[in-house]
Amino acid sequence: MPALEVADLAKRYGRVRALRGVSFALEPGEILGYLGPNGAGKTTTLRLVLGLARADRGSVRLLGQPPSRPASRERVGFLPGELRLHGGMTGHALLDHFARFRPARPPVLRERLLGALDLRGSDLSRRVKWLSHGTRQKLGLVIALQHDPDVVLLDEPTNGLDPLVQQGFCDLVRELAARGRAILLSSHVLSEVEAVCGRVAVLREGELLAVEQIGALRARLVRRLEARFRGPAPGGLATLPGVTRAEVAGSAVTLWLRGDVNPLLRRLAACEVEHLVFPEPQLEDVFLDLYRGRAGAG
Amino acid sequence: MRNLLRLLLARHAAYVLVSGLLLGGFQWLICAVVASTDVTGALGTLVQSLPPMVQSMVSEQFFGGFSKTSLLAFGWAHPIAQAVGAGLAVVLATQAVAGESEAGTIELTLGQPIARHTYLAAHVVFAFAVLAFVTLAGLAGTLAGGRFYGLEPFRLAALARLGLDYLALQVALFGLALMFSTFGREGSRVALFGFLCALVSYLVHVIGTMWDGWALLVPFTLHAYYVPKDILVGGVGVARPVAILLAVALGGLLVAWGRFHRRDLP
Repeated sequence: MPALEVADLAKRYGRVRALRGVSFALEPGEILGYLGPNGAGKTTTLRLVLGLARADRGSVRLLGQPPSRPASRERVGFLPGELRLHGGMTGHALLDHFARFRPARPPVLRERLLGALDLRGSDLSRRVKWLSHGTRQKLGLVIALQHDPDVVLLDEPTNGLDPLVQQGFCDLVRELAARGRAILLSSHVLSEVEAVCGRVAVLREGELLAVEQIGALRARLVRRLEARFRGPAPGGLATLPGVTRAEVAGSAVTLWLRGDVNPLLRRLAACEVEHLVFPEPQLEDVFLDLYRGRAGAG
Repeated sequence: MRNLLRLLLARHAAYVLVSGLLLGGFQWLICAVVASTDVTGALGTLVQSLPPMVQSMVSEQFFGGFSKTSLLAFGWAHPIAQAVGAGLAVVLATQAVAGESEAGTIELTLGQPIARHTYLAAHVVFAFAVLAFVTLAGLAGTLAGGRFYGLEPFRLAALARLGLDYLALQVALFGLALMFSTFGREGSRVALFGFLCALVSYLVHVIGTMWDGWALLVPFTLHAYYVPKDILVGGVGVARPVAILLAVALGGLLVAWGRFHRRDLP
């Protein structure tokens, strides 16, 4: 049985169609990236999954139950995208407050999470309203995960975290998945999804464009590479495997390539490269690629 | 539900305590004023200088004549006494849904294994409890002040009826404000609406009592069913006014209940 099953989910806010028939499933032990730009419908999906909003069409089964049943959320951990906490409470009081909602599931992971996210006692003894955005985000993650949930729903989880803590968070997520926990990680940052997710669902304007393995997505992604050589640019780069396009301007070359980068790197290694830029692929590149694929199929 | 009640108590304890002290202290002060000066004589002299129609209106409608008992009853009809209860009722109702939605905290709270009806019930139970506490604090102020200043004591049954009527009025306001709250997403707007509701009811009642032109509107105000003078001076029962106020509260709560179950959050 899937930990989470979403079928033909549709939601409209006035004239805006926030979701248009979204379907996917999340299996135990899986990390599914839910990728899309701001306003794509990611947060709406999570709200429908948790029963916070009502779908116009479609169904959700959370651990086999409809989300309107509070019991279905007993084994779920949730981090909202726009995290707001009770500012008047201390960090300790806040964690205890949320732990008490699940008397049958004590906060067994709390200490481990506090260590991994570098949350110190001094942070926890201060009122939440005096904490930085990043520290509040860490508290939100502890609230979501402290009871060792079977299903984890995270909306933009690394928002405000520094790179070191982000790394710790990614390790944590992988560890949870290895122990059979199902994780839905919603994000608009492609690199974040690439780093931890096995599969990715790509959403745009409320429509699911693709659900596929991250490797498959990566393989078909067209990436850009810019190189400047000492002396004139070498010939034959455009004919290398994976290179789909090349533009040469004197000693500078811009290449677009898909799939394995090694043939190109081997070729470049034989040249006198002065400057090399290989930027992270952007979300827009994924969408362009997916749209191009659809148009081709159509 | 206990967890939510604990949170609400921690959040509102200071406000509730101040409200209780304010109402109790105000009633004590009224006792002090009534006992230490010849207020009845002073007011009588003042009223005699007014035109006959106004004399009759002021003395009969507001003070039920100038007995000490009627002046103490006026303490419970005074705008300050009304504002303390109404303020608490409206603020608690506003915070319950619209305030939490605006603050963004309701999303995380209802993402936990709590049913919506449990969430709303916790807010209703808490509001009823603290409104009862503030009412008792006010009654304690009247009782203690009366004893301290050697005033003729009220009968406990009459005080209990007065407390019940005051509580029913605040519960009715809470029910209406909670209804607004479940429709709203901005706490400030809902609070404004709630306070306006209380203010309009109070003003229409006062004007309708003084001016025949508005008299037909009086039965449609909540304050027409809050009758401290009739209870303390006339010794009348409160079954009907309390029933009407509770019916209004129940109506508001039922609409709020239905709306809260269907609405999208936050």
